[in-house]
Amino acid sequence: MWRITKRGEREFRHGQEAYGLAADQARFCEGFCPDVEDEWTADEERSCYNCRLRRWTVESFLCLGPA
Amino acid sequence: MKILVCIDDTDNLESRGTGDLATELAEEIEKRGWGRSLFVTRHQLLVHPDVPYTSHNSSMCFEADIESDYLQPLIEYASDYLKRESAPGSDPGLCVAVVELLDEPEALTAFGRRAKEEVLNKTLAYDLASQLGLHLSEHGGTGQGVVGALAGIGLRLGGNDGRLKGWLDIRTENGLATVGEILAQVSLQGVRTLDGEVLGAEEVIAVDDKPKAVMIGGGTYLMVSAVEKSDRVRWRTTPRKQLKRF
Repeated sequence: MWRITKRGEREFRHGQEAYGLAADQARFCEGFCPDVEDEWTADEERSCYNCRLRRWTVESFLCLGPA
Repeated sequence: MKILVCIDDTDNLESRGTGDLATELAEEIEKRGWGRSLFVTRHQLLVHPDVPYTSHNSSMCFEADIESDYLQPLIEYASDYLKRESAPGSDPGLCVAVVELLDEPEALTAFGRRAKEEVLNKTLAYDLASQLGLHLSEHGGTGQGVVGALAGIGLRLGGNDGRLKGWLDIRTENGLATVGEILAQVSLQGVRTLDGEVLGAEEVIAVDDKPKAVMIGGGTYLMVSAVEKSDRVRWRTTPRKQLKRF
């Protein structure tokens, strides 16, 4: 699900369109914290794509929350 | 006179979002009797390893109609406000443009489009702002937010970019409303399909939770998508995942 970058950050392996997987990941994530609504990109409210601890990258996003 | 105000890079992972600050600035203009403010739009800029940003790299812009005497007080208020309210570690920028004084609006819209595709820098932003006579200022950190603030003005001016901050509060009957009923409740130019068709007043729309509007062709529209395999309703509000390109 995640790859570790050269800087030791966790990057989501599945890009920016894997809505089901991003929702699955967020479902049991203790670090999930919803971003402001204007920054949501998923229709599932609880999704890594809607978390304020995600940082978008060119291909995907980094998770800045607890591993 | 019509002005555009845009701010960028005011937040960090723990703070309020830039959109909230833009909304407060817009409200303050009205509270002080300086003029009337319109809606805030969010403009997505380039995500790239060489561009510093908190988590998504978007700027927030709004239009206001003010008396010319209030322009300088507004700029001073907004500058102080950003210094005071921006989050630690942020790099806030402020841009204010008087639309009727813009000689080369196309240069500004071109800068906005470039900021979605290229890595731009502060020097380019300040040079263009100076050439066009815009107010552009930085209020902490590296001040890198001036790039996004200027770009956001260009994108709002171009009228073909951005989602409106917040969502539309639309009353429905069993989740359905006609275009006419929707337009009677919210201030929009129309209801439009992703293919560009503007729907007539009798069309029935299935309205999902927290529907959002976008800017296209200088207007604001609720976007709808075709419903497959349904005899009852042809259209539903466009899912968020399909709106992210705006």
